Amino acid sequence: MTGLLREHAEGQFAAELAELAKTDTRQRPPNWKLSPWAVTTYILGGKLENGFTISPKYIGSRRIIEVAVATLATDRALLLLGVPGTAKSWVSEHLAAAISGDSTLLIQGTAGTAEESIRYGWNYARLLSEGPSEKALVPSPVMVAMRAGKLARLEELTRIPADVQDTLISILSEKTLPIPELESEVQAVKGFNVIATANNRDKGVNELSSALRRRFNTVVLPLPATLDEEVEIVQSRSAALGRALELPAEPPALDEIRRIVTIFRELRAGMTADGKTKLKSPSGTLSTAEAISVVNNGQALAAHFGDGKLRAGDVAAGLVGAVIKDPVQDKIVWQEYLETVAKERKEWKDLYRACKEMLE
Amino acid sequence: MLTILGIRHHGPGSARSVRAELEKLRPDCVLVEGPPDADALIPLIAQAGMIPPVALLLYLPDDPQKAVYYPFAEFSPEWQAIQYALAHKVPVRFMDWEQKYQLGLDNERGDDEKKGTSNESPQDSPSLISHHFDPFTGIAEAAGYSDGERWWEHFVEQRRGSGEVFTGILELMIALRAESEKLGQIEPRDLVREAAMRTIIRAAQAEGRQNIAIICGAWHAPALVKLDAAKADEKLLKGANKNPGQVASTFVPWTYDRLARRSGYGAGIDSPGWYEHLWQTESHLVETWMVKVAQLMRQEDLGISPAHAIEATRLAETLAALRGRPLPGLPELDEAIQAIFCFGDDAPMRLIREKLIVGQRMGNVPPSAPTVPLQRDITAAQKRTRLEPSASPESLDLDLRKPLLLERSQLLHRLNLLGIPWGKLQTTRGAKGTFHELWQIEWKPEFAVSIIEASLWGNIILEAATNKVTARAAQAADLPGLTPLVESALLADLAESIPPLMARVQNLAAASADLPHLMEALPPLVNVTRYGNVRQTDTALVRHVVDELITRICIGLPAACTALDDDAAQAMFERIKAVHGGIFLLEDSPLPPNRERSSSYLGENRGDGGHAESWLRTLSILAAPQAGHGLTRGLASRLIYDRRADNDTASRMSLALSPGTPAAESAAWVQGFLHSGGQALIHDPALWHLLNDWVLSLPEALFTTLLPLLRRTFSTFPAPERRQIGELAKTGGRSASFTTEIELDPLRVEKALTLVNLILGKG
Repeated sequence: MTGLLREHAEGQFAAELAELAKTDTRQRPPNWKLSPWAVTTYILGGKLENGFTISPKYIGSRRIIEVAVATLATDRALLLLGVPGTAKSWVSEHLAAAISGDSTLLIQGTAGTAEESIRYGWNYARLLSEGPSEKALVPSPVMVAMRAGKLARLEELTRIPADVQDTLISILSEKTLPIPELESEVQAVKGFNVIATANNRDKGVNELSSALRRRFNTVVLPLPATLDEEVEIVQSRSAALGRALELPAEPPALDEIRRIVTIFRELRAGMTADGKTKLKSPSGTLSTAEAISVVNNGQALAAHFGDGKLRAGDVAAGLVGAVIKDPVQDKIVWQEYLETVAKERKEWKDLYRACKEMLE
Repeated sequence: MLTILGIRHHGPGSARSVRAELEKLRPDCVLVEGPPDADALIPLIAQAGMIPPVALLLYLPDDPQKAVYYPFAEFSPEWQAIQYALAHKVPVRFMDWEQKYQLGLDNERGDDEKKGTSNESPQDSPSLISHHFDPFTGIAEAAGYSDGERWWEHFVEQRRGSGEVFTGILELMIALRAESEKLGQIEPRDLVREAAMRTIIRAAQAEGRQNIAIICGAWHAPALVKLDAAKADEKLLKGANKNPGQVASTFVPWTYDRLARRSGYGAGIDSPGWYEHLWQTESHLVETWMVKVAQLMRQEDLGISPAHAIEATRLAETLAALRGRPLPGLPELDEAIQAIFCFGDDAPMRLIREKLIVGQRMGNVPPSAPTVPLQRDITAAQKRTRLEPSASPESLDLDLRKPLLLERSQLLHRLNLLGIPWGKLQTTRGAKGTFHELWQIEWKPEFAVSIIEASLWGNIILEAATNKVTARAAQAADLPGLTPLVESALLADLAESIPPLMARVQNLAAASADLPHLMEALPPLVNVTRYGNVRQTDTALVRHVVDELITRICIGLPAACTALDDDAAQAMFERIKAVHGGIFLLEDSPLPPNRERSSSYLGENRGDGGHAESWLRTLSILAAPQAGHGLTRGLASRLIYDRRADNDTASRMSLALSPGTPAAESAAWVQGFLHSGGQALIHDPALWHLLNDWVLSLPEALFTTLLPLLRRTFSTFPAPERRQIGELAKTGGRSASFTTEIELDPLRVEKALTLVNLILGKG
């Protein structure tokens, strides 16, 4: 045990990567640790010919991962889009780990990300004493990746100010990074590429310029496709979180989780699960992560103020809070949902009453 | 010599191979799988006006709903074979079991087959074999494909050169047939059809044809190789050929949309536009497709550069390589397009699907083709209703209580929906009650063309009108566009279109954030629920939607009334009045007998006063101080008062008219409250007292301030009313007519009551 709170992907799954590399006989693009096929298997999981089992890192459509891997194989940059909580960073980390064996060349995009973090900075003490030199240069993760032929990762691309974003254009199209101060440049070695992630709810924050956008292939990571898939994710995550918080409550009842996930999915889709009735959607995202927090919250309430069992009353408060983000419009949405959908379901009587009480 | 070319219907690869093979073979006779009943129509295919997609239509003239369509596209192998034969003056014939026996069979079996028979045809099913058992799935899975269609697509349709493909197909089919014969999974009908095909081949041989080319679905190919069992075939056919029906046939224009599966047309192909591309493009398939997509997106003002097309081509090819395909197929192209052209977005993909992958081509049929069944049905309906088409305008007064006249009205409404405006409805209902309609009818020769256009929707009027209304409902984007359609569908008595229409109304209502639309949709729908008696339409479904609409209006109305300017408040004022009227029309009228009273345990909230209660609750929110514009608050207060729902009217009035309130708002409140004019004030003593008590309670200074406000509303009343109100005020409301008790003679009252009851229709 390393005592680390969290290990990098390439460390945590080193055994799987090694096993894949051993059995992988297909053609590898230059400087790739694995063939595109093996990368796909690493992400989606599967059984190798020698019987070794690869655990799935991403549960979802095979098509999406194939497009992502094929994009990186054509040396085009990859942009992963999705609402918060759809495993964008998770996929990007594992792609980098599987392809370059290194997921640490990471830039976290913020409103304060400056050009230096993408290109290079200076060690000013050295710059002052020695003048501009290779030694005084502080390379960015992108520069390191270019030199080594690895993948660089950019988190939250749309939060970076637009003028800084555009620094990427020449790196992505000409694969060079000029250093005018030293009258030199860094030319990318084969295998270099960029994976960026962005949140498509915040599209308006710093929309990509069309020139930059054109240099990315965009892959949208969707919310979980089926009810069962999402219930499974919520259940396992909330059980794990409950353990971490040392809640004395019983593990959450599957039925209650199923109900919450159903509400989230129906409101998100603007349609009931049976596809018969249309609904309005609230302004919030209602991601899986929020469903997990509703369950968690309810569990805490049940443990400390209730009988330890997750009941409708315990989740009602969390539900209302998660759904109603805009006090006027979302409230109408929620009331309509309660009156036209929740009320109709006989086995939802308790939940309907509990939610109704919260509104009054 | 006999050459069997096993194909997939509508397969461009098959079409290409067939064309090449025919050029090589130079046959002296071509037999194409298809109904021999329509042999006479084959020469039409070479005529100038014939542009695919078209469908060969066979139907029973007595019962046009029993019909079979054989659609052809340019890339259909059958179409190409016939074109080749006609161009080279080679005899060409259809080869199958005659439809006159099959359509009759459907007739007999009646309920065995589902109602959709009319839209399915045995021939055009693209899946290579019967639906019950698919040995292709096994082969496809073994080769790593998700389904048999994809496998065939890849190995046969996407092949560019023809080579020995037909020999290979025949061998494969022989093996597969043997397998399913062993399992006993060959449909009896297929056996009869194949016997009929063999008989036709033998007939061609007997004529002395040396070099016969046979184009048939791959599944039938093995059965046509051996022709020696003539006796057995004869016996089989003799047993099956019973009760021949009288079959008529014609060509009708078709669309790619109807060729595609998604239009609900049972058997078809997924991507006619893509197949057309495969058929027309000789080389650089992927690049040309990408350029087509780029051009389409540019037309829609989406900036797409050639660089996008280059990158998309590269990604599609890499994806194909990753999946071990030699050439990208439609899924690879779609994924590449979505990632690069659409920036991951799904919405433009729908456009591409509609315009390119499915395509919007519509065929044409030369005028020499026989008349369509819809024309016959219209003529029949005209005879039945004794309504002869005449070019001179005529007036009709239809009393809908008489069955014949009701049928006439329905016919005219249906034709109107189909775009054949024979009659124009003159008066709107209301003046003469719900059971009279005044029409102006005039037949125009150009209707003949409209009928052909309308025949795309169906073979008989009812079916065509229903299909068209359903399609239009699916396209309607908002409620105001939809509610008139509901009304005309009910008028035309299109019972089957009502459920989809109502579902659409429900969906739009649920998604609509536009409360005024909901409110405007309600009164006509409430009216519709009242037609039930006269028109014998089932209004239970409408009632359900009305219930939902009311619930939504009650929830959304308070928010919609919060920030209104004068004009918007005036519009909302009218809507609230209309909704109020609608709800109480519904609540005060008895439930229609066919309505289920308690379909769910919520019964308590639906009908039976539930709506009135929640509506009054909504009104009381609207009437609350600060709840919005004075006009709507005044109106809400008055509506509550009229129903005597609570006792807060006095306090509402004094709050609304207290000096702290801006003058304009108070004036609006009075205007809303007294919207029904002075008569109500004169004849409703309680209302009078309410207003009077409030005026009397005002200190003198305040009264002077508020006087102009009252005057503003009172000045709109006619002079005699104002005079009467003044007289009332003089006596302090104690007018004799309101307060004195009159001695009544029970006997005389009894007489009057009988008459009153008679007038009210309660006698």
